[in-house]
Amino acid sequence: MPKIEVSRQDLFKLSRMKDPGDAELANLLTLVKGEIDYSLDDELKIELNDTNRPDLWCVEGVARALRCSEAGPFNHLADLPEPAGEIHVDEKLENVRPFVAAFTACGFGPDQKQLNALINVQEKLAASFGRNRKTAAIGFYRLDEISFPVKYRAVTPETSFIPLGEEREMTLSEILADTETGRMYAHLVEKADLWPLLEDASGSILSFPPVINSQTTGRVSPGDSRLFCEVTGTDWETVQLTAAILACNLQDRGASIAPVLVKYPASMHSEVQTPVIFRDSMTATTDEIRKVLGIDISLDSAREALLRMDYASVEIEGDTLTGILPPYRRDGIHAVDMIEDIAISIGLESFEPLLPEQFTIGHSAPVEELVDAVRTVLIGAGCEEILRPALSSWRKIKEITRTPTDPVMIANPMTEEYGVVRNTLLPGLLDVESTSAHASYPHRIFESGEILISGDDGVCRTEIYLAGLVCGNKADFGDVHSILGSICYSRDLDLSLRSVEDERFISGRCATVIINGRASGVIGEFHPAVLTEWGIARPASGFEINIDSLKE
Amino acid sequence: MTEERDLHPLEKKLLTYLENNGKSSDADIIRESDLPDEGSFRRAAQWLLSRELIIEESREEKVFVELGPLGTQNLEVGSSPELAMLRAVAGGSNSLQEIQQDTSFDRGRWGSAFGALIKGGLLKKADGKILFDGKPEETVFQKVWDLVYLPLSDGAEIRFTDLPENIAEIVESRSPRRGKSRAEFILNGIVTSILDITAEGREALKKSLETVTIGVMTPEILAEGSWKDARFRRYQVDIPPSRIHTGRLHPYRQFLDTVRKRFIGLGFSEMRGSLAENEFWNNDALFMPQFHPARDIHDVYYLEEGRSVPPPSDELEKRVAAAHENGGDTGSRGWGYRFSRRQSLQAILRSQGTSLSARTLGSNPDIPGKYFAIARCFRYDQVDATHLPDFFQVEGIVLGEKINLRYLLGLLKLLAEEIAGASDYKFLPAYFPFTEPSVEMHIKHPRLGWIEVGGAGLFRPEVCLPLGIDVPVIAWGLGLDRMAMLALGLNDIRDLITPDLSRLRNMKIQPDRLLTGREGGANA
Repeated sequence: MPKIEVSRQDLFKLSRMKDPGDAELANLLTLVKGEIDYSLDDELKIELNDTNRPDLWCVEGVARALRCSEAGPFNHLADLPEPAGEIHVDEKLENVRPFVAAFTACGFGPDQKQLNALINVQEKLAASFGRNRKTAAIGFYRLDEISFPVKYRAVTPETSFIPLGEEREMTLSEILADTETGRMYAHLVEKADLWPLLEDASGSILSFPPVINSQTTGRVSPGDSRLFCEVTGTDWETVQLTAAILACNLQDRGASIAPVLVKYPASMHSEVQTPVIFRDSMTATTDEIRKVLGIDISLDSAREALLRMDYASVEIEGDTLTGILPPYRRDGIHAVDMIEDIAISIGLESFEPLLPEQFTIGHSAPVEELVDAVRTVLIGAGCEEILRPALSSWRKIKEITRTPTDPVMIANPMTEEYGVVRNTLLPGLLDVESTSAHASYPHRIFESGEILISGDDGVCRTEIYLAGLVCGNKADFGDVHSILGSICYSRDLDLSLRSVEDERFISGRCATVIINGRASGVIGEFHPAVLTEWGIARPASGFEINIDSLKE
Repeated sequence: MTEERDLHPLEKKLLTYLENNGKSSDADIIRESDLPDEGSFRRAAQWLLSRELIIEESREEKVFVELGPLGTQNLEVGSSPELAMLRAVAGGSNSLQEIQQDTSFDRGRWGSAFGALIKGGLLKKADGKILFDGKPEETVFQKVWDLVYLPLSDGAEIRFTDLPENIAEIVESRSPRRGKSRAEFILNGIVTSILDITAEGREALKKSLETVTIGVMTPEILAEGSWKDARFRRYQVDIPPSRIHTGRLHPYRQFLDTVRKRFIGLGFSEMRGSLAENEFWNNDALFMPQFHPARDIHDVYYLEEGRSVPPPSDELEKRVAAAHENGGDTGSRGWGYRFSRRQSLQAILRSQGTSLSARTLGSNPDIPGKYFAIARCFRYDQVDATHLPDFFQVEGIVLGEKINLRYLLGLLKLLAEEIAGASDYKFLPAYFPFTEPSVEMHIKHPRLGWIEVGGAGLFRPEVCLPLGIDVPVIAWGLGLDRMAMLALGLNDIRDLITPDLSRLRNMKIQPDRLLTGREGGANA
């Protein structure tokens, strides 16, 4: 979940409301699916739960929602002037980083704090929404130092300029190799032969997207009130939406926005005015809205509710309502998305909860009832129940315990300790023994639980196993045999054992468990070598069966 | 006496010894009587003293002087550092540096001896030189040597109270109660008590010898009928029981059992499924786009190459793929990307129990219907006090013609009251990729304040329609590990799966209070 840190003063100044205190603020934040994570004096940390709303990951976005819920829609990016300039895109960028969107913002000169906030939004959007600058990266420049048309070119790695924060001219490959930012983002461009570069009409270099701006034009200082902003990336929608969000933020801060015309070579899209305003629309009938919400809401009230959510427009035509999302949102793909906005705008507290009316019969899963019956028998036999994780390690299952079959391995384990899914419960019980020498003996323990096994064809299936173990100075084969016997007796099943060799157990004290004529598991006295490997200092015997074998 | 219990065999032995030998010291009794060991003697004596069947005639503490580690070192060197220093100064050395050249003692010991001698007025400092005006063999340190060290080296016992006052003072000041490793002397107190039998004791002994008393019952006593002429030794019934370890269910499993029973009681049917899933059922069927961050390799465990889970039918997969790509016939625009069948079939460990709900929806569920599953789930987290390698969630669905947001809130209210045991709760708008609208539930915990325990939403049409469900469906889920920790009074989530049997044995279980949201266990 994204978390943002904002200045409380800034938030309420932008929202044009008085600070109502934390309790009421928490209530208002339901509008943006947000929660107060931390609050002290001017410092406010907000957690935002909607991962589909990058527009909210900044103070401007949250403030916008609060303001509109009071004052109605703002009509962001409506009636934009003629484009302030053009960007020409090099066709050789098609397979490198083809998309760019840009705009100019004039009339808002950020102070140091506001500039920091601007940079924070830029970083946050590029990191999360822009997938660490892959799908979208952002650059700000002083407009007055740029002459249009700006060229978005594909250049050789030998091209050089002075990157931001450095003192000397460096080639692009030097930048990737020798600067911290370069190394961080090198993987985004280095596989291509030609790399992206923004330069203006006079040939002065703006930046090497998505890596770094130039020291000369790419530096914005407090008080700069004429800005040029560009977004480049590999994903068309992400680039456009990112640009639209930034433009709305600056508009909220008081800047006038002018679009920029992007001219693509004929092989791509031809030309487009950016940021692109998507105007996503959703349509729902009265019935559809009422069916989801369970209230007799009128279309007029629904319209009011959506306008308080800053919808760009809401039209009613007969029995249907069509809402158009503001330019900073693209998260509406179905009528239900709009209907949820109606509910949020009205407030969940105004919906009276209803209990389900229809009668249903509850059932336990049959296997769980079987497991419960067996657990009861085992408790009666004086056994203590164990619960272990389903993830284990190759070392514990194979190397230490010498389990003959292989567990399914995880391709991307976090640690080796949890690198496989268990295919047997016995190592978990042995683990208990190796940890519990200080607990008074004898130990009679068991676990029933899910394990994962794979057929020869690689198809995996989950089974429920039952394993028991007895450990103590006098613990032996007979103890676990008796426990197993009492389980089978209680369920009227025939139990017989057939001697078998198994590395886990002492030769001649190990058998296949046969229940009603079917091989169902294994029983034996653990081999001293296994016990020693586990660091267990007393004799131990155990059994393991598939719970299905107790079904008949 | 009738209310008194009979003599315990140990008591009988002690009384018999005293009757035969007269008043005796405890050391003698332990050495000579039939009592098996010192512990038995102490217990018997305590019982008898409390009933005044014996009395303690006298009690004397003798304090013996013994050498501590530093004293032993002195004995090996043949002198205490104080005495050695006095001799050195008397012999002409007059700086501490010079004396410290002698490595019989380390610098620290020379230093503290110097401090003690200055403090005691034996040594004086003038013009940076050390002066001693006297003879070492006439000082108190020589006396300590003669009266303490020499006799101890001969194996003699020295009683502290026998020492002259000025010597005793030095010995006591060098016998710290703590830090015995830096002690010169150790004062060892040994208590001797003299016990004697009382008249009541004699009476009781006599009585118990006259009567045949039965201790432990045996089949022979029953068979022979010998109990008729005997009396039963009265037991002291109020002594604390010894602890036995019974068979018992695991505390967390009991918690899960209770949750299960409550859901069945509310009319829910239990679903079961596989630990391994393919991405189709874990994500795709839930309309989570294949580029969703939660589907990243860093958030989900992939099974090794070559492992698989049976694929969905081609027809179903086509419908789900269409919903993703352009909405298909769900009324949605879809996510607008190219659906990958290959990714869809990737085998993973299920990251959410919702995969079970998706499978249930895809296999002709009852309408109206209510389903739940207590499912082990796997998330890519480092194991620590708040994260387990795998964890339990209870999730499920409610389907029906009339289902809407108000019934969803009603269901959450039911879960808050019946499962979480909360009386104070609130609902907040939430975001889950597969539901719209989505609501999360917070309950008020008496100690922790508001905590989030779960959520619910109406499955998106893009989830239901491709699976063949055309009625509204509530999807809901609650995290169980956290609730269990609260109920069991645990602070570290790893305790829920501890391999430590004694820790497990010490967890209290009160299944009837498990879900109250209050601290059910007593281990907090």
